[in-house]
Amino acid sequence: MASILTVDDSSSVRQMVSFTLRKAGYEVVEAVDGKDGLAKASQSKANLIITDLNMPNMDGIEMITAIRTLPGYSFTPILMLTTESQPEKKEAGRKAGATGWIVKPFNTDQLIAVVQKLVR
Amino acid sequence: MDRTSCSAAISTLDHSERELRSLRCGSETEIAKVGAEFEELARLTDSILHLAVEVIGGIETDTVRSILPNVQSLGGAARKFIEDKLEEAARILDTVKAESTLLGRLSQLTHEQRSIARETNTLGVLTKIEVARLGQVGRGFEYLAHQLDDFSQSVVANTAELAQHTDERRTAIDETMRGLGAELPRVRVEFAQLEGELDTVLSETGSRLQSFFEAPAALRNCVEGLASQISGVVAAIQSHDITRQQVEHVQEAMRLIAEKIQQDDGSDRNAANGRSWVAGGLVIQSYQLKSIQQTVGAWVSQIRRCMDGIMSISSAELKGIGPMVLQQQRQLSQQLLQIEALERKCESDAAKIEEALTGLSALTQLVGEHLKRSRLVRDRLQLLTFNSIIEASSLGAKADGILEISQSIKRISASWGELTDRSEKANEEILTLVEDSRAQMRTGSENDLRTAQTGIEAGLEGLARAAALTAGQAPEIDRFIGRLQAKIVEVGAAGDRLDTCFARIGAVLNELEQLRRQYESEAPAALAGSIKQNIEAVFSASYTTESEREILRAALLGAPLPAAQQNLAGNDVELF
Repeated sequence: MASILTVDDSSSVRQMVSFTLRKAGYEVVEAVDGKDGLAKASQSKANLIITDLNMPNMDGIEMITAIRTLPGYSFTPILMLTTESQPEKKEAGRKAGATGWIVKPFNTDQLIAVVQKLVR
Repeated sequence: MDRTSCSAAISTLDHSERELRSLRCGSETEIAKVGAEFEELARLTDSILHLAVEVIGGIETDTVRSILPNVQSLGGAARKFIEDKLEEAARILDTVKAESTLLGRLSQLTHEQRSIARETNTLGVLTKIEVARLGQVGRGFEYLAHQLDDFSQSVVANTAELAQHTDERRTAIDETMRGLGAELPRVRVEFAQLEGELDTVLSETGSRLQSFFEAPAALRNCVEGLASQISGVVAAIQSHDITRQQVEHVQEAMRLIAEKIQQDDGSDRNAANGRSWVAGGLVIQSYQLKSIQQTVGAWVSQIRRCMDGIMSISSAELKGIGPMVLQQQRQLSQQLLQIEALERKCESDAAKIEEALTGLSALTQLVGEHLKRSRLVRDRLQLLTFNSIIEASSLGAKADGILEISQSIKRISASWGELTDRSEKANEEILTLVEDSRAQMRTGSENDLRTAQTGIEAGLEGLARAAALTAGQAPEIDRFIGRLQAKIVEVGAAGDRLDTCFARIGAVLNELEQLRRQYESEAPAALAGSIKQNIEAVFSASYTTESEREILRAALLGAPLPAAQQNLAGNDVELF
């Protein structure tokens, strides 16, 4: 079973991402901020990461940059799930190594379809 | 503004900030609870959908689907078959009656031939007497006497055989005619009854099959509608992240505004600008809080829509339809058996008629052969008449008796010829009737009926399986719907709790509005451009979402609050 790491300081968003992806048959690991996300990614290999942008302790961009240096994470798909929609923010995410961008709230069916495509 | 007023304003802002902090913490818990409740609802709708899809899968097969059009065509084919059979029976009865009449005529002609044979026999005796009377002169007529004798004997033998066959056939045809005549009214009643029953069963079957095909799909559509409403709530819950940030930004703004009030040094110019700045900042916060109220209102509406969706789901039709279709399937099988019995009966009647027709065909062959012989006899009679008249004429008055006999033979020959022609005509008419009868028995409606029957028979087993599956799954679906509907109170309570939780915003808004009015009354009417720019720069720095920035712009322009853009369908993923 593929493992997905969801990183968000909002418990309700983590809850909804986990519920949606578990229902689709994925194992989901939750992290409360960038620092926690980086630690969880180091502990066990995630097949895909979904992360918020603005978080306390370490934001999403910093976390992606750090994760990309971890062994085995060079090509792991990372999606940013955020309230932000500004092009400069998206560009920053892309440069840091994000694979895609989702403005909250996400479309459940489309998220599952994209995750299935990326994890395959 | 004096120090006391400033302190009171700062205290109000501090109170509002604490209220919002408390709301933010409380809402987090409430939203998590709503999330958990809707997760359960989503699981239940998923289970119902899964079962409904299984039921639909059982029904949506070609064999089961083919039953409805076959049931519809069976009705038409059976009616056509019954109509054709009744019409055919009536027509065949008429034909058989005509055949009987013709056989009577043929029999009469045969009797007439026999009387001619008897007459010929008499002439033969008279010829022999004349030959004896004429002595040596009449020796030439001995051959005539012999021929007449021979002719009458062979005709008697032939006609006797033919008369026997004709009478036998007539008896058989009369029997068939009586049988058909007696049976026809009974068959009419039986057919009418079967047609009535079949109409009822097929009409019931048609409407029940229609419901059977529609009920699970209707349930699935209804549950899918609810699942979509639930997805809307899932999206709303995610939107809480935006609302949470908005509340945080209002809290932060209150601290900034309080600092600005604190900095009021009482100098006239600075005081006026500062009050303008505070009033402008408060306007923005009012807009932000009103926007949060709008958003929460949309969440609660979405939850209420889910409640309506939950209550609209019903498995009542699905529960009843399985057993009903099974019962219908049995009735339909019964009707098919009755139709098969009817077909067998018709086949048996047709076999009887065919037997009678075969007998008639054999008779017509026999009559044909008899006619051939009759024509030869007529030719011989004509030759005898001719020879005997020449012979008698050469003998003069001595052979007057023979001449008389020859004239009689001539008359008999003519009568014989006429009888032969009439017999031939009757025989031809019988042959035509036999052909007509056979043609009447070959209607196409049997094939149409059999095609419809075969189609239904092929689908009946699949229909029984699908109905049994539906009947088996319906209680399970019903249980899940029961569990889903039992959640209605909790769902309603979740909406109420959110309402209550965010009701604090109303109180905070009132306090801020009051403060804003107070500051506006003491500030210049129009916000100076530089102050406006400063306010925008200070507050927009923390705004991370486009909606917050839109609200800020509307507040600064004094425009109406932008409508809350609740994307309850959720946003798509943009891949780089």
